[in-house]
Amino acid sequence: MNTQFEPEGQAPPRSGLLLLQGLVWGLFVLFALRLWYLQIHKGDEYAEAALENQMRREAIYAPRGLIRDRNGTLLAVNQPAYALGLVREDCPDVTATLDKVTEWTGYDRLELREKFHKFKRLVKPFEPMILIPDLPFEQLAVIEANALFWPGLEIVVRPRRFYPQGALVSHVLGYVAEANEEELQKISALSMGDDVGKGGLELTMEDRLRGGKGLRQSEVDATGRRLEQIVVERPTAGENMVLSIDLPLQEHCHTLLEGRAGAVVVMDPDTGQLLAFVSQPGFDNNQFVTGLSETQWATLRDDPMHPLQNRVIQSAFPPGSVFKLVVGSAALEMGVDPKETIYCPGHWKLGRRVFRCWKKGGHGRVDFHKGLTQSCDVYFYQLGDRLGVDVMSRYAVAYGFGTRTGIDLPHEKAGLIPTREWKRERFGEPWQGGENLNMAIGQGFNLVTPLQVTRFIAALVNGGKLLKPLLLRDSEPMVQSRLPLSDEHRQMVLDAMVSTVEEGTARRLRRRDATIGGKTGTAQVVRLRASEDEKRRKTEEMPYEERDHAWLASWGTKDNKNYVVVCMVEHGGHGSSAAGPVVRAVYDHLFGKPR
Amino acid sequence: MTLIDRRIVQHINWGLIGLTLLLFFVGVLNLYSASGFRLEGGQAVQPYYQKQFIWGMMGLCGMVFFMIFDYRHLKVMAWPLFWLTVTLLLLVPVFGKTVYGARRWLDLGLFSFQPSELAKIAILLIAAKVLSKGQKQLDWVPLFGVMAIGMIPAGLIILQPDLGSGLSVLLLLGGVILYRGIELRVFKSLVVLVPAMMPLAWFFLLHDYQKQRIITFLNPGKDPLGAGYHIIQSQIAIGSGKLWGKGFMAGTQSQLRFLPEKHTDFAVAVFGEEWGFVGSIILLALFCMFLYHIFLAAQDAKDRFGSFLAAGVFFYFFWQILINMGMVLGLMPVVGIPLPFISYGGSATVVNLCLIGLVLNVSMRRFVFKRA
Repeated sequence: MNTQFEPEGQAPPRSGLLLLQGLVWGLFVLFALRLWYLQIHKGDEYAEAALENQMRREAIYAPRGLIRDRNGTLLAVNQPAYALGLVREDCPDVTATLDKVTEWTGYDRLELREKFHKFKRLVKPFEPMILIPDLPFEQLAVIEANALFWPGLEIVVRPRRFYPQGALVSHVLGYVAEANEEELQKISALSMGDDVGKGGLELTMEDRLRGGKGLRQSEVDATGRRLEQIVVERPTAGENMVLSIDLPLQEHCHTLLEGRAGAVVVMDPDTGQLLAFVSQPGFDNNQFVTGLSETQWATLRDDPMHPLQNRVIQSAFPPGSVFKLVVGSAALEMGVDPKETIYCPGHWKLGRRVFRCWKKGGHGRVDFHKGLTQSCDVYFYQLGDRLGVDVMSRYAVAYGFGTRTGIDLPHEKAGLIPTREWKRERFGEPWQGGENLNMAIGQGFNLVTPLQVTRFIAALVNGGKLLKPLLLRDSEPMVQSRLPLSDEHRQMVLDAMVSTVEEGTARRLRRRDATIGGKTGTAQVVRLRASEDEKRRKTEEMPYEERDHAWLASWGTKDNKNYVVVCMVEHGGHGSSAAGPVVRAVYDHLFGKPR
Repeated sequence: MTLIDRRIVQHINWGLIGLTLLLFFVGVLNLYSASGFRLEGGQAVQPYYQKQFIWGMMGLCGMVFFMIFDYRHLKVMAWPLFWLTVTLLLLVPVFGKTVYGARRWLDLGLFSFQPSELAKIAILLIAAKVLSKGQKQLDWVPLFGVMAIGMIPAGLIILQPDLGSGLSVLLLLGGVILYRGIELRVFKSLVVLVPAMMPLAWFFLLHDYQKQRIITFLNPGKDPLGAGYHIIQSQIAIGSGKLWGKGFMAGTQSQLRFLPEKHTDFAVAVFGEEWGFVGSIILLALFCMFLYHIFLAAQDAKDRFGSFLAAGVFFYFFWQILINMGMVLGLMPVVGIPLPFISYGGSATVVNLCLIGLVLNVSMRRFVFKRA
């Protein structure tokens, strides 16, 4: 025998043996008691919790509210779409399954995995996580045939938004798209893969359009078979909406601006309802619903014409001579005699600086009426000098400029009406006398949106009520404020606008069968240097970005039907020649072609 | 030297073998149910139970191997094995491969293995060798000596980082130290000191996710869909089994996949759900009888080295059973320690059976030197 072995006879430690015995008994007693507590004492409670786990709840999708134009034509509808969902708990190998999905659909493998991990925590147990919101038919067929071998994958049928008119009303409707993480956190009614309004009325009316999901409950047995289904809660459909937009008119206006950038707005001045709301170029909002590809998005984003820009409310331009309506009416209210004349030699001097009238030869003797009708710059230089920035901006703000109109669309711009304080804050310089003159003819710092101009013209026509611009046909008119303008003075402005059409700068609009009033505007984008001033360039000779913006603000009455039509053509050139034909054609549509 | 003496074969502890095999087959049966998988309109079973069975067969070979040689030869191997382990552990940060953010594996070409598994066996041998010397209860100095030896591999493992394995090594060593016995005054001081050290461990040893597990254990309702989910669903599974259970393959909690890790760490919850209180108590009793048989081996061993070896194996299983079942029954925080024979795991099964072989070795040679 080996001697390295220790001698025998040394007994194992007694305390140790007692310890081991004690531990065995302790283990048994501890866990037996715990098992008794869990399985006997609280068994019924846990059995109920397990039964609760066997209840699977599925959402029943609610149809989103339909949107129609004022004649009942559908503008936004729902179509069935087939989404690919993944029930995590049913999926034995998520990575392999995701890889298989990539193979079927051509989705980026890493993108899909990232999506899965990002949204994992947002999906309740046994709720399908929507991996691909919209499957094309060919892929649907492939997946249907193979899904059997890939437990966890599920085809989910959901309603999807479709806009039959596409780009025609995209700036009004906006669009819906898959909710992002932030929206899912904010709106508890949304679950992953749901669509949510992202722009336009779809965004502002989201709560009314969405509706409420229903709930279907089914019990499953241990093998996962559904035993019975009960509808616990019926879905409630979203609210249907009728817009004030008149689709044929909208389409007409849209076509008139085709190929150019600009806006056309038609408003009923008595109610504030918008009959046409066109911003060109438009974009096909259906692209956003199905998800934009990288290249589609790049095309939209980098388009020099900026199709996503809503020019009716999101672009603020210098108003040009349209602003003379503001300054002129303010002057009347400040006590300027409309009969008083001044002489226009074609320019006006302030100190050493010379301010030119658009008409080189001058207008001769000009009173209020002629000043507006002929859009004489010198007459308004003189008014601007007398009124000063404080009065002009006070009236401009009272007329609704420099603040949002409150239309039910997101991201509206307020524009800008300058004041002394603003100038000091912005540039650290005091207001200059010459800037009064620029402001009076609508140049300088003033920025207005086409919708603000529309609302102002409507107020001139409807007796001085500044109305909230409305997009829904059944909304009641909402008077926001009244113009600080007497009926007498208001009538003088309207008369001058009629004369502008009869014999002034807006002659293109003249027609015998209707009363039309208008005011043109040509807003300079680049200030002319003195040398260039002499030889004014023709619009066609200028590069696109330096061309003037063309304005035409108008109203028309025939057989008790009143309309306000405002057109703005971005870099269009002269107000009368660029915007005139558009507005003319709009009246042709509204009143019929004159015989 | 005769390897297999007839006398020795006569003393084979058939009770322990029977209990071991019984536990193993209960585990395979339970795994069959736990790896059941629902397909559209039917069920399929993932082949975990087959793999477990094959590992078990390999383990049985290992068990026989660990029975044939005289266990006292292991005494000379204790120190070389210890230093080999330490060397391998030192190599891990250099050559190891990273899995889930921790370097624990050494790639040996054909297969990779965790030196931390080897460390458990090495500590078992060292503890038995060092602590079986002398009869006196341990005073401060020898206690610190033994602890220092244990801290070398344990510290290296914790640094990998693998807190679970590091602590198992220390727990195993601690168990054997308690078996040997500590001076009463030393023991009294430790009772005060160890809890006082807890806050230090909280701030310096634990990772955020580990702290989170402890917080969740103390208050699982705080995050019922996140970290508390495992704890709650596991208790629902066991509790809903009630007295008689839901029947084999009929546990809704496990078959519908509310149970996490149901074929590994939470496998015993599947058993509890399907076999109820009666089945669970029987399984618990089997485990206790199994431990009791190991205790008997320690008690009847011919020498103190053998006794301490058996005691080490006792603690090796005891801690795993305590921690795993404690976790599943909601008495302890979630720690990734499997339940011997019940949880799926290839190398664990082999090691478990080999250690049982060691105990059988000690037990069957208990009369070899008995004076007639």
